[in-house]
Amino acid sequence: MIFTADAPVTEFLQQLINGLSLGAIYALLALGYTMVYGVLRFINFAHADVFMIGSFAGYYLGQHVPAGTLWGGMSVLLAAMLICAVLGVAIERFAYRPLRGGPTLNVLITAIGVSLLLENGGQLVFGATPRTFPQIFPFTRFQFGHLIVSSNQLVVIAVAAFLIAALQLIIYRTRMGMAMRAVSLNPKAAQLVGVNINTVIAFTFALGSALAGAGGILYSMNYPSIDPLMGVMPGLKAFTAAILGGIGNIPGAALGGLILGGAETFIGGSQFSTYKDAIAFGILIVILLFRPSGLLGRRTIEKV
Amino acid sequence: MSAPLLQLDQATIRFGGLTAVNAVDLALAEGSLCGLIGPNGAGKTTVFNIITGVYAPTSGRITFAGHDLADHSVNAIAALGIARTFQNIRLFGRLSVFDNVRVACNLHRATNPFQALVRGCAFRADEAAAAKRTEELLEIFNLGRFRDAPAKSLPYGEQRRLEIVRALATQPRLLLLDEPAAGMNPSEKVELVRLIQQIHRQFNLTILLVEHSMRVVMGVCQTIAVLDYGVKIAEGTPDEIRRDPKVIEAYLGEDHGANSAHH
Amino acid sequence: MRLPRQHLALAAGILGAVIVSLFSNSLDAYLLDVALGIGINIILAVSLNLVNGHTGQFSLGHAGFMSIGAYLSAACTVFIGPQLFGSAAPGALAQNLLFLGALLVGGLCAAFAGLLVGIPSLRLKGDYLALVTLGFGEIIRVIFQNIDKLGGALGFNGVPAYTTFGWTYTWVALTIFTVTCLVNSTYGRGFLATHDDEIASESIGLNTTRYKITAFTIGAFFAGVAGGLFAHLKLSIDPRGFDFMRSIEIVVMVILGGMGNTLGVILAAVLLTLLPEVLRPIAEYRMVLYSFLLIVLMIARPQGLLNFRLGKNRL
Repeated sequence: MIFTADAPVTEFLQQLINGLSLGAIYALLALGYTMVYGVLRFINFAHADVFMIGSFAGYYLGQHVPAGTLWGGMSVLLAAMLICAVLGVAIERFAYRPLRGGPTLNVLITAIGVSLLLENGGQLVFGATPRTFPQIFPFTRFQFGHLIVSSNQLVVIAVAAFLIAALQLIIYRTRMGMAMRAVSLNPKAAQLVGVNINTVIAFTFALGSALAGAGGILYSMNYPSIDPLMGVMPGLKAFTAAILGGIGNIPGAALGGLILGGAETFIGGSQFSTYKDAIAFGILIVILLFRPSGLLGRRTIEKV
Repeated sequence: MSAPLLQLDQATIRFGGLTAVNAVDLALAEGSLCGLIGPNGAGKTTVFNIITGVYAPTSGRITFAGHDLADHSVNAIAALGIARTFQNIRLFGRLSVFDNVRVACNLHRATNPFQALVRGCAFRADEAAAAKRTEELLEIFNLGRFRDAPAKSLPYGEQRRLEIVRALATQPRLLLLDEPAAGMNPSEKVELVRLIQQIHRQFNLTILLVEHSMRVVMGVCQTIAVLDYGVKIAEGTPDEIRRDPKVIEAYLGEDHGANSAHH
Repeated sequence: MRLPRQHLALAAGILGAVIVSLFSNSLDAYLLDVALGIGINIILAVSLNLVNGHTGQFSLGHAGFMSIGAYLSAACTVFIGPQLFGSAAPGALAQNLLFLGALLVGGLCAAFAGLLVGIPSLRLKGDYLALVTLGFGEIIRVIFQNIDKLGGALGFNGVPAYTTFGWTYTWVALTIFTVTCLVNSTYGRGFLATHDDEIASESIGLNTTRYKITAFTIGAFFAGVAGGLFAHLKLSIDPRGFDFMRSIEIVVMVILGGMGNTLGVILAAVLLTLLPEVLRPIAEYRMVLYSFLLIVLMIARPQGLLNFRLGKNRL
């Protein structure tokens, strides 16, 4: 991303757009983590790799649509989201469901296993050398004085905002959304009133994974170098964002994503840029140690 | 009269909008055997949790043997001499019956952990003493034959007994029993009454008992305090409690009416 | 007065290690290298087992402590060694003393780091603890990558080849001895109790926080020693080799062996060190197989492949 160091206001605005764009992607990823945690009380380590698969799906699909068209871009996006949704449901069904009801430690380790499988399998199948993501949406640069905004960034922000709004609608205005909220509050009671837990959990994974897929596409539009390990860092950062906002809390995840994206962009533009990856770890540790319930989360008391 | 061993002064605890325990006063004389009863949700286990330090009271004071228990951690309170059992049995499932009791002997261990590496005479004597005390306790309570079995493989009644034995291994002055009769049939309850009386005599303990079963409470307790919605509504001897109109009203409509023939 | 049998076993172990070491020059260099790798992994796995298996604290940062031991022991031998001995090569006794000192420095610094990380972190449970330890492990790695005196991102080269069979397996014996003796005492049952039920443990007077921190610190110490042995075996330190993947590899050994089962964990460490060697022809599939193994293991046999009941919670 080109930016000029002229007027500080311009630079600030530039960083703001960059941060918003990055934060939107983290928010999409963070939502997946938070939703799965809300419903199953565990951290899906493999989520970041579904993000990566979304990106590669977009890469391959993008070869089959004309570059730079709106409908081409949209169809690649939707197809990748669908593929990731299916992948997410499959992972839940075959790797996590058998362990439901057991100690969460076991599922955590399985999740790490799935993550490693996707990463190493990806290296085997796609090769470890990075590829360049195709330009799937029409591309222009807008210039306002010294402020440069690429259409990709705008697409990212627009699509992310739309998806987050759609998610809010699903969660708060549909029966399935209500069922999801019920299961996250009290799984046993939800079952007693007739909620099919398996369906709800599958749906949650489908939603979260679709968002991860979208995140993968959007991320690769701004950072076109993709490789099988690309999900690791964004995953950890998005995960930190979810915890920052309060794990299990959906608006919190979006908020956390934006804050983290902003922080990382501003640090990246400052003199501490070599430490910008460490920022997320630092925030993670600080939150977990001092306020594990996050910004918008609620503390729970263990019953003795 | 000497100072009570345990004293609660206006103990209160609020969870958000709910006042689970409301200005409760309680005084236990050393060597007494008291009961704490009340309908479900009255706050009885919460009182235990306040005494043992699991929750900090919102206001009020807890004093034990002259010590103010404020800001004491759970294990510090245990070290002062308060032991307890839990409503839902909390044994160390993967440890053997023997080890469940032996680990409770740590409170009175004479050697430090480093000596476990050096394994000199002092260490071995210490280990032998702990093993001996564990064996004795298990024998007294008829659990010796289960010694090497994993604790979770024991029948229910034996598990409850084991939990009490584990508490006794810490050499407490005050023992809190949280619904020890839960899940027991009438003959087991008779056995439990006998067990509690035996413990009371043999180990010279002060005992506070939370129970639903009137048969157990009336059969064993010298004094009884009654809680309802976190408030102490009555206190006295079993006879006084049985006749107290406030108590009868609190239990009215439930199967645990003091006059019912249920137990 | 009879020596306790644990001390006899330790002495036998050390003696055996030293004897084999004397003949190590006639051993095939490759086999020796593998054997030393096995030893180092045993130390890592058994020490992590104290934390993850016995005390039930899910730590994903063990490699971070290993790296501290690696760098600091290498710093001792590379920077301080010459100052003590001048430019002449040290004699055998001096060299061994220096190495011992370096290993101890590495281990103690790692232990100190374990204390610093453990004290705030061990209040957290399960997933959260795993994440914090992972975060700390990564931060340690980033810090070392930015210290130019220790080679920075390019790694630390020129580490002298001090690691021998004797040294490695002496420390293997010490690690097993320490963990076993601790856990099998009345005090040590507290680690297992803390794992099983913290609230009940507190109610019988155990300070569960102190148990967790103690396990963590001791685990970190031996990880640091293992790191020192590793550095003086590979003769150079690559900071990327101590990332969270390395921590996961050690965790897998603990799980495969059955958390809390010392013998199982030792066997798992041996197996998982030999496996990559055996699978060398299909090395690129190794990681895929690895991850598959992990998933299948957790679904089919979460208590570990090698978890034999040795009766009476022996090991």
